[in-house]
Amino acid sequence: MLALEFPPINEILRWQDVFPSFNKVAAISVLAALIASVIFIIAGNADGSKAPRGVRNFAEAIVEFVENQIIMPTMGSSGRGWTPFLLSLFSFIYLCNVPGIIPIIQMPATARMALPLFLSLLVWVVFIGVGFKHQGLGYLKNSLFPPGVPAPLYILVTPIEFISTFLVRPFSLTVRLFANMLAGHILLVTFALLTKELVQGDSVALIPVGILPFFMLVFLTAFEVLVAFLQAYIFTILAAVYIGGAAHPEH
Amino acid sequence: MEAFSILAQLTDEGAKAAEAAGSAGFAYGLAAIGPGIGIGYLVGKSVEAMARQPEAAGMVRTTMFLGIAFTEALALIGFVVFILIGL
Amino acid sequence: MLRAVVTYGSEGPQVLLTAEGGEEGYSEYTFADCAIIPDGESPGTKIESLEACDEGPSPIMPEAKEFFWGSGAFVVFALLMRFFLYPRLRRSMDARDASIREAHESAEAERDAARGEVSSYETALAEVRAEVAARIDAARSTVEQERAARLSETNEAIAARRAAASAEVDAAHGAARAQVGTAVATVASRAVELATGRAPDPNAVSRAVDELMNTGVSQ
Repeated sequence: MLALEFPPINEILRWQDVFPSFNKVAAISVLAALIASVIFIIAGNADGSKAPRGVRNFAEAIVEFVENQIIMPTMGSSGRGWTPFLLSLFSFIYLCNVPGIIPIIQMPATARMALPLFLSLLVWVVFIGVGFKHQGLGYLKNSLFPPGVPAPLYILVTPIEFISTFLVRPFSLTVRLFANMLAGHILLVTFALLTKELVQGDSVALIPVGILPFFMLVFLTAFEVLVAFLQAYIFTILAAVYIGGAAHPEH
Repeated sequence: MEAFSILAQLTDEGAKAAEAAGSAGFAYGLAAIGPGIGIGYLVGKSVEAMARQPEAAGMVRTTMFLGIAFTEALALIGFVVFILIGL
Repeated sequence: MLRAVVTYGSEGPQVLLTAEGGEEGYSEYTFADCAIIPDGESPGTKIESLEACDEGPSPIMPEAKEFFWGSGAFVVFALLMRFFLYPRLRRSMDARDASIREAHESAEAERDAARGEVSSYETALAEVRAEVAARIDAARSTVEQERAARLSETNEAIAARRAAASAEVDAAHGAARAQVGTAVATVASRAVELATGRAPDPNAVSRAVDELMNTGVSQ
């Protein structure tokens, strides 16, 4: 029979320290920030008066994507001041997601809890801060006691609003990014293991069968490219929605 | 006698682990049903809206992704529970 | 078959399970196969299975080092973006946008100017065309007038000639008729003289002849 042994989950997620308190995931996140900075530095140094080319074109495409696809539909043109924050959020998350499919690295930094947790806590702090800055204490009143609700219903509505706004938002933001990337990573590991066991296994008859999980692996790798982009996009657009909602009370 | 009880404990733990794995699978399977239906319905309706009004496609797409994100969260929580109790 | 060896030690009962007939302690794994090598173990040490590795906490737990490295990297990147990278990119993008808009506007102005020139040229052309048409009309009317004058002149000449000719013809006709009348009257008076023996009144004869001839001509 097949000697298929799935490694313990920590086996595929935890990494030996490169040096004390610095492991592969930390290296990936530092590298992501570094690569993004380098891209934008090169773009900034390029001649901006002519039609953009190469790296600059790429950077400008990202900026315009964030402005037109993320900020405009959610915050309107008043949210343009948030472009740098959302832009760095988007490019950082994307560059942390993408190593999951890059050969040899094969590990999305966001498949560990730490990074999504930090980013969503940051977004949480930012949107609450924006709420208090724009509406003062009225922010609490607007978000916990939504206008237009009959007074007795506040017993029901206020706890729900509190939980959904202040607890579920950072939680779901974290879990969405983390679980998506982790699920993708585990799927890739599963099919890679299956392919390896079938092709290198004892039974010669099973070697041709190994092509099936291999094709699945290729397909899933392509799918992970999409997921890496989509999760960065969704995280950023939700951050924009939360910040925009805090800046302007609901009508 | 004591050795037997320890062995029994061991097998008991094994059975518990198997049970946990089974229920984890169950939890994830159940958690995937609702969001599956929800996302299918959501995307179907969005495609319909985009086909009816192609000029509003950008707005519909953005809202669709937001809806998918919220719906999908349930399935992902199921997945996290699966990892927590199953592995 | 499994064999359980139970020993009692200071830490309570311990159970060692061994497979009989198997190679005792055989394993293809060493600590090097683990993700994390436990502290104080060398990578070459053989282990029963991967279970012996340091499994660590639940995979859901965030690790402090990853948290701090990741957050540090992101915060540095975000601040860099906010104060340095993005404003530079934005400034040059805005500058290019402005220059493109300016170029657009100047192109628009130039196009408007060109349009003005084209329209002035077209008005001039229209004026010239109108003049040409007027001149042609004038020339045509002069020609027409001249033609009409010539035509009437010619017609007058023709009419005069025709009148003269018809007068001539009438005169000849009258002379011939008078001759014929005289001859007829002579013949008639002679015949009457021969028949009656006396000469008739020449006036009456000539009148009768005239009447007869007139009736004959008019019939």
